[in-house]
Amino acid sequence: MSLHALFMALAHSPLGHAMQASKWDFAIVEMVHLLALAVLGGCVLIVDLRLLGVILKGESARDIGRDLGRLLLGSLLVMVLSGVALLSEEAGKCYYSPAFRCKMALLAAAILFYFTLHRRALHHTGSGKPNLWARLAAIVSLLLWLGVGVAGRAIGLL
Amino acid sequence: MKFRFAVLLIFALSLTAVPAYAHHSFAAEFDGTKPVRLVGKITRVEWTNPHTYFYIDVVDTQGKVTNWGVEGASPGALSRRGWKHEDLKIGGKVVVEGYRAKNGSNLVDGRLVTLPDGRKVYGGSPGDGGPGDDGTDHGSLPGTSN
Amino acid sequence: MPLLQHLCQLLYDSSFGTMIRESNNAFPIIESIHVLSITLLIGTIAVLDLRMLGLILRPIPVTRVARGVLPLTWSGFTVSFVSGFLLFWAEAAKNYTNPAFRAKLILLALAGLNPLIFHTTIYRRVHQWESLHVSPWRARAAAIASLTLWSGVIIAGRAIAYF
Repeated sequence: MSLHALFMALAHSPLGHAMQASKWDFAIVEMVHLLALAVLGGCVLIVDLRLLGVILKGESARDIGRDLGRLLLGSLLVMVLSGVALLSEEAGKCYYSPAFRCKMALLAAAILFYFTLHRRALHHTGSGKPNLWARLAAIVSLLLWLGVGVAGRAIGLL
Repeated sequence: MKFRFAVLLIFALSLTAVPAYAHHSFAAEFDGTKPVRLVGKITRVEWTNPHTYFYIDVVDTQGKVTNWGVEGASPGALSRRGWKHEDLKIGGKVVVEGYRAKNGSNLVDGRLVTLPDGRKVYGGSPGDGGPGDDGTDHGSLPGTSN
Repeated sequence: MPLLQHLCQLLYDSSFGTMIRESNNAFPIIESIHVLSITLLIGTIAVLDLRMLGLILRPIPVTRVARGVLPLTWSGFTVSFVSGFLLFWAEAAKNYTNPAFRAKLILLALAGLNPLIFHTTIYRRVHQWESLHVSPWRARAAAIASLTLWSGVIIAGRAIAYF
């Protein structure tokens, strides 16, 4: 199935029809998406600022990363689920939207980075001070997630 | 015989499936099954964020005048599609094609607008399924290139 | 016209407010900053609230979490407030009659009152309970109030567009 066909299938699905039909259903899903964004963003900020060595310097970066990691992934899951629902409301528009494509690319990059180099940086830093690579990883992470947020805003503005 | 009927039925149903998704970014407010074409004179313009609005007086065949509102995207988004605030002059004649508000009020979203100076501008987004949508930034407007 | 509404109309009609409202880029940028700042303001305070509820970062004393988080929260508040005020300036007359906007302001006031009460009461004795994995019930009540009220601010904020 082509990507376009997949998007159209989502639009024509029961979820798609429900989202397209009701003003308030869409609004509620948007609100859930925003609530999860706040939590996801808070986790990213705290983990990465620790990795940068700016806050919670006396605590273990690895432990904070692992502890907040569950909340981070949980809120990310909520964002993805609510995001699919939002997508089903305007799948055609999103398919052609450069902002949407950019957002998906950055999201994929952010998630991939999170599970690989970022995890390694947290592990390596442990309870100590971050080295250059760890700080770089923190900055890349912050920029990628910020990019996802900005691209997401652009979908509705372009 | 039954088989041919079934094929025709499925074909007919699939045609109706398209307008049901003829939906778009202003989807929450507007009804994809109620396309509207209005011709009128501009009475007021609100070139504002987050949505622009302009109002037109439409005269019907009996001579009755109704005022309609036309909602559009933000000034920034419209400027990228080639419209400016100055393009909508009070008293100028416009042709608006769009979808009617779900609540039945005299409000449409302006998807395809013929400006007083004759230019056609597109108010939709690529892929949103409304009139003129062909997956590009300009819609299938005559004389535009993709 | 009531005085407050008159003031809102003055802001709305001002050249500065009009400039933002009719702008191509300024309004979208300010609004985007405002929306994304919820991570800095609300996301960070949520982490402190969840710590007091004993759900995350249990090995770390509450005071250490607070010391790490609160500067971020205050920065977030500054960004939210400035961007929010600019948006308000541009939309003031419309906001005045918007029930979602009014609800947002009320919730915002309560969200500000909650930590005031918290810090002048139970938090005064924080050194007695900072290392507990689950904080005392008054602290937990404040945490739940915080999470609820800030969620309400986000929800009301999004609802503004629908009224």
